[in-house]
Amino acid sequence: MATESASSARKVVVHFRATGGAPILKQAKFKISGTDKFAKVIDFLCRHLGRETLFVYVNSAFSPNPDELVIDLYNINVELNFGFDGKLVVNYACSMAWG
Amino acid sequence: MLIMEAQKYVWEGAIPLQIHLHESEVTTFPPPPPALILAPRIGYLPLLIALIKPYFSSALPPGVDTLWFDYKGLPLKWYTPTGVLFDLLCAEPERPWNLTVHFRGYPANILIPCEGEDAVKWSFINSLKEAAYIINGNCKNIMNMSQSDQVELWRSVMNGNVEAYQRVSFKLKLGTVEDEYSVKPQQGTCETDMTGQVKTGRIPIRLYVCSVSEDFDDLEDVPKIDSWDKISFINRPVEIHKEEGKYFSLHDAIKALLPELFSEKTLIESPNNIPLEDARESKAEEVVNVCNDVAEIKLVRIQGIEPKLEIPFSWVVNNLMNPDYFLHISLYVKVTTLNTT
Repeated sequence: MATESASSARKVVVHFRATGGAPILKQAKFKISGTDKFAKVIDFLCRHLGRETLFVYVNSAFSPNPDELVIDLYNINVELNFGFDGKLVVNYACSMAWG
Repeated sequence: MLIMEAQKYVWEGAIPLQIHLHESEVTTFPPPPPALILAPRIGYLPLLIALIKPYFSSALPPGVDTLWFDYKGLPLKWYTPTGVLFDLLCAEPERPWNLTVHFRGYPANILIPCEGEDAVKWSFINSLKEAAYIINGNCKNIMNMSQSDQVELWRSVMNGNVEAYQRVSFKLKLGTVEDEYSVKPQQGTCETDMTGQVKTGRIPIRLYVCSVSEDFDDLEDVPKIDSWDKISFINRPVEIHKEEGKYFSLHDAIKALLPELFSEKTLIESPNNIPLEDARESKAEEVVNVCNDVAEIKLVRIQGIEPKLEIPFSWVVNNLMNPDYFLHISLYVKVTTLNTT
């Protein structure tokens, strides 16, 4: 797409954290392209955990909609100095967490 | 509490829908006539089920209902406000808007599952949380909402009750930007609290960009969007930068959101550059042409209107945002292909 550029094509490290008794992944950190949508992150988790639905959150705070780009989510945190170590923290739960 | 007139219009905004049952689900002859329904702009399509179901229930084949809609074959995202879908997918507004409803065969490969009103409410609250996160750096105010406030807030959105919405949302302390351009009410009638609530200045935006390569003069000639892959979803906050003697316009905001398309660099490098003094005096649309040689803004639509690009962005935010505290902007740009490697 036209709005993609060198800056948004960078990779983001996603750090998965299980919440509320959800199964833990053997490998917790994955690299993903910044231009990928959050839907891909949700898909990836569902496949790895063999579940049809999961509740997936960013920074224990909110659940983004599936169209949002990974780089945009990462950048929200960078500007707040949270994700400064270059990671996007993604929490997942089998039942609803944090409302 | 001050309710701005424009905001009231936004809340009252509705789109006339003509809803047809998909032919594969028609079991009666003659097929049921289409349903005519007025859908609130700030609402969501699945919330219309109580109105739509009675029209078609007798024609449906046996099975379990999983409601979804399509427009000319494109399954519609249920978590996007109805008004935004219309602004984005109907460059030339179609009234009534002809949608097809399905109660079977959910396209799970394209749409995330929607289990009725609860799913829509969950999605709305999450959008609100995301906005709070952008504005305040946390979602505490949303998380700490009382159960009754949460219910009232959601009801106000469902019922389009802007007064009730303002009563509850005021407590969330998500006041965005100071708007120095609106006509203030007469002293003593009602006090605005906008001025006391200046925040980080980060404004939650959902920008939907449709890039077209062919030029068009008539909205009827805009190429039809037949796949969501043709839309770029941009969720980047905008910060209002104030410079001495200048205001931050909608055009400034769009440039800030899409630095790939509208960078200062292209302004300097542009071979067709004309002196800025001349550009300032010409119309906004021409300024756009001058400022870059990569993209040209063809259409900006927010809440069904096409605001001028010179309009102060603070006014746009305070008056045209959705109840989830996001400003949803539909944008059509004409992009000249560049050999970027």
